[in-house]
Amino acid sequence: MREVTATILENIRIAENIYSLTFATEDELKVRPGQFCMVGVAGFPLRRPIAVCKAEGERITVCYQLKGGGTRALAETYKQGEKLSVLLPLGNGFYVGEQEQRVALVGGGVGIFPLISVIRAYQGKKQLFSYMGFRNRAAYCMPYELQRSDRLVVATDDGSMGYHGTSVQAFMEEIEEIKPDIILSCGPVPMLHALKKATEGRNIPVYVSLEERMGCGIGACLVCVCEKTDGAHARVCKDGPVFNINEVAL
Amino acid sequence: MADLSLQLCGVKLKNPVIPASGTFGFGREFNELYDISCLGGVATKGLTLKPRLGNPVPRIAEGKSVILNAVGLQNPGVEAFIENDLEWLKSKTRVLANVAGSTIEDYSEICARLDGLVDFVELNISCPNVKCGGMAFGIRPETIEEVTRAAKGSLKRTPLIVKLSPNVESIALNAQAAERGGADAISLVNTFTGMVIDIEKRKPLLANMTGGVSGAGIKPIAVRMVYEASRAVHIPVIGMGGICTAEDAVEFLMAGATAVQVGTHNFTDTFACPKIIAGLHDWCDRHGVSHVTSLTGALQ
Repeated sequence: MREVTATILENIRIAENIYSLTFATEDELKVRPGQFCMVGVAGFPLRRPIAVCKAEGERITVCYQLKGGGTRALAETYKQGEKLSVLLPLGNGFYVGEQEQRVALVGGGVGIFPLISVIRAYQGKKQLFSYMGFRNRAAYCMPYELQRSDRLVVATDDGSMGYHGTSVQAFMEEIEEIKPDIILSCGPVPMLHALKKATEGRNIPVYVSLEERMGCGIGACLVCVCEKTDGAHARVCKDGPVFNINEVAL
Repeated sequence: MADLSLQLCGVKLKNPVIPASGTFGFGREFNELYDISCLGGVATKGLTLKPRLGNPVPRIAEGKSVILNAVGLQNPGVEAFIENDLEWLKSKTRVLANVAGSTIEDYSEICARLDGLVDFVELNISCPNVKCGGMAFGIRPETIEEVTRAAKGSLKRTPLIVKLSPNVESIALNAQAAERGGADAISLVNTFTGMVIDIEKRKPLLANMTGGVSGAGIKPIAVRMVYEASRAVHIPVIGMGGICTAEDAVEFLMAGATAVQVGTHNFTDTFACPKIIAGLHDWCDRHGVSHVTSLTGALQ
């Protein structure tokens, strides 16, 4: 974990309300798939937690959705060549064990971006089956990255592209066929709920990356907690953001 | 180079900059980014006798130049702190153990447990985010005096700092009540109770509905309260509320503070405290100030 002053290489719109921000750090950083960073936005007291999508040496790409004033300011006022204060890499990230060869990735909305970092990390090393859900065709993005998977199913809520339905539904139609050793997922809570219900009793480990409003991003302030199934609280920023789906009360 | 060291209630601090309770945990996470032994001390996350889970999420929201938090005193309990973190933290810097309770007895008991183990106890009678206790003790002078006296009665060796709420009628009267109760110092301000609403959803942004407002936006009010409190008492005052820079810290010192705490800005700039310490050196040198202590109450 470090604080870096990064130089923006690109900050562009890639889909409806979605921006891709690429910055260069001073030197190479080791970033695990599924880790995130805290991006400082001038004029806003809180940094914005954003999942790392691509990490190539000193080039890091994160993708964010326009949600409020902070992300709008990030999209509108930060241009190529400008400096950006970033804390990274943060959190635990996704991990695929040696025994686990067949990896299913189930993503929805902005949840696809941390999964892209998994695809990039394990491409050619594991069998990757991706099920990625979008609201509609206009929200679909990063096709080149998603197509690095051995199999890609795009699902849209309105059927304007690919499978008509959710990524969980698309995944469950193929689960028997692909026989995944592990399932990694990120997306809205109702989607994670659906995934938990659908995969219960199958004895396949499922890991999910959670999102929560954060303060410090490094585990000190106890703002971004999630409830665990044993009743305790875990810090999403430090103990997560990736948890075994059975460990957390969704 | 200016001397930033000071004596606070007979305890030497290497400088007057202390991260504020709740923004810094027990220091371990920030120590991964910089060596926290550079700090004057650390005010710990608020401790209670038993572990507390705190409030539901979301626990944080943002306004213009301010944030609101409603963590609700989540903490592992005083015993876990003593067992897992205290020795390490003491090896790094001065420890201000921030403590909270639901009853007067809670406060005496937790103070008795920490007596002699920490450098200071900071009595949190000003947390706006818990249903009973917390701020309930910190509103009226009579209860402030009573809880302070009870805490002081349990502290034979460790100086007592009473952290005051700004959500009150008269900060001067409350400061005097803490002094009468036996406080060795006071710290202020804790957060202002506030609320933010998501107008699209027509719902409060915080699960707790209301939360404590902190950050740069509250600084002028905090400076005024530190000024009023410091003139009302004869014990040292630790000032806080929106400090982001060394100049902000100097302002609090001039208003009457002996030391300062930095809270919210630790989130905005992880290196806020070391930068403020370096900035204080610079400022003192540029202004011919040889001892930082000479700035306390140095209004002309």
